[in-house]
Amino acid sequence: MQVQEALRSWKPWVGLLFVLFLLWVPSSGIAGGYLQTLCFLTFLYVTLSTAWNILGGYAGQTSFGHATFYGLGAYTTAILVLRGVPPLMTMPLAGLIAALYALLWGYPCLRLRGQYFAIATIGVGEATRLLMLNLDDLIKNNTWLNGFLQDGVLTGGATGLMLPTPENISSYAVGFYYGAMGLMFLALLVSWWVKNSKFGLGLFSINMDIDAAETVGVNTVYYKNLALMLSAFMVGICGSVYAQYVFYIDPQTVFGFPMSIAMVLMPTIGGIGTLAGPILGAVVYIVVQDRILTANLEIGTLKLSLSSLHLLLYGGLLVLIILFEPKGIVGLQQRLVRWWKRRSGGVMAKKTT
Amino acid sequence: MGVLIQGDNVCKNFGGLAAVSRVSFQVNEGEIFGLIGPNGAGKTTLFRCITGVYPATSGRISFNGKDITRLMPHETCVLGITNTHQVVKPFPDMTVLDNVRVGAFFGRGWVRREVKDAAKEAMRVLEFTGLAHRASSLARNLTLPDRKRLEVARALATRPQVLLLDEVVAGLNPTETDMMIALIRQLRDNGITIVMVEHVMRAVLGVSDRVMVLSFGEKIAEGTPKEVYTNPEVIEAYLGKSYAAGGAANRQINA
Repeated sequence: MQVQEALRSWKPWVGLLFVLFLLWVPSSGIAGGYLQTLCFLTFLYVTLSTAWNILGGYAGQTSFGHATFYGLGAYTTAILVLRGVPPLMTMPLAGLIAALYALLWGYPCLRLRGQYFAIATIGVGEATRLLMLNLDDLIKNNTWLNGFLQDGVLTGGATGLMLPTPENISSYAVGFYYGAMGLMFLALLVSWWVKNSKFGLGLFSINMDIDAAETVGVNTVYYKNLALMLSAFMVGICGSVYAQYVFYIDPQTVFGFPMSIAMVLMPTIGGIGTLAGPILGAVVYIVVQDRILTANLEIGTLKLSLSSLHLLLYGGLLVLIILFEPKGIVGLQQRLVRWWKRRSGGVMAKKTT
Repeated sequence: MGVLIQGDNVCKNFGGLAAVSRVSFQVNEGEIFGLIGPNGAGKTTLFRCITGVYPATSGRISFNGKDITRLMPHETCVLGITNTHQVVKPFPDMTVLDNVRVGAFFGRGWVRREVKDAAKEAMRVLEFTGLAHRASSLARNLTLPDRKRLEVARALATRPQVLLLDEVVAGLNPTETDMMIALIRQLRDNGITIVMVEHVMRAVLGVSDRVMVLSFGEKIAEGTPKEVYTNPEVIEAYLGKSYAAGGAANRQINA
């Protein structure tokens, strides 16, 4: 019955068409593979923002330190691949290490509430980035380690790590295209499951009133940590995919603050705490970033490169969203639907009288 | 009728202020136990010590013979003690049904496998508390009396053995108060022990089996409602020394 009703609606058909289109993109060669790269990045960023949304949207714990998990995932893969471990096998490990690191700083930090937690995560993110910049020096000059981990390069410091490039790069990229797409759907499935499960109900109750949640039996410390670890696991896997796709990582890119900000921005633009919000936000984010990084403005004699302005644009966007529509694009859509219904309802009422 | 909650010399200090000092009490199974006292007497603090929001500075609180002094609120909830909040705390952006479902999912009933379907249990509780018709509306859209009911419903969905009610009739008009009191009586008849903090004397004295009076963190009286409101010390705490002598007490309370 429900299936039949769903088939009669237009939405699943449009969705199916869209998925088919995405499946077709690599073989189409639109814009010389440019679209493929853009879509790959979108898949990756949808996964990231969906992962962040589990902690930041469902549980309401705003984290500005998610780049730590992204970076750890990337570095785990890079370091292991350079030591001869098959790349795909490093992915679950990258997720696990990110999740363990999440527990390490999440357990103390999640005791803080609201903005205090957010501030603490900024500190953790920056501290981790600096640690990764200097880790090689720390290990190389340590007499206690007695040669353990001391031969060759470990994290490469500020220069980062290069990974070996495969021979057939285009089929490799196509493989990753489909891999990232699968990962995205998996992440969305996890997000959907969390949203409709007992776990998700606990997270929402923590989000809305943590004291009330405690009194009706929600173990808030446990659930917050679990949400952070799940989120970190997914972000870690994304980091691993990123390292395998671009073959070069350095602390500034994968551990950098802009990466953390990106993960906060995307769900906020799209609609925090919703399932579709992170998807829409990530798409907007990637498209805006892509357009603006290559855009040049010419007004009369004034020539302006906009590439340095994209952060400004996101900042402005964030202010507008928080002021006028805290639920982002999803909230805007709901508002439009309500407006449309009221309008058509009014018309109907007029007709009957 | 065994002893359910036992407090021995419970103290709670905030810095140099003794909010609760050396209070001992017993709550028996199946009774309605009233807790009264002037503003700032430490009633809510004592509640919070029982549920575990604040750990007691010293003293011991036990429940069914088990020491619960150091337990967290979610742990005491799973054991069977739940409270409602003086300032109602619904989950505003959830439906009323989901609010109650949280209690059904995470409370004692779920942990002990007495509840198998949280949504069904939530609906049953909503019907019992008279909120079933609002089940699908957002909690933020409820009126104050309904919010107070929701507070009770959500606590009830955890299947508590003891329910601590913190000023559930404060802010309600006389009709609504009567309905709430009827609900409290009904709960007791269903085997739930009630401890209530209340300022509305008509409510607490009318419904309680036993009453304890706190003043400045100390216990000054305990007994049946009648014993308590004729006790000169209680009258002094509420109304001042000049009323303590003579029959002024009865006049004031009946007024």
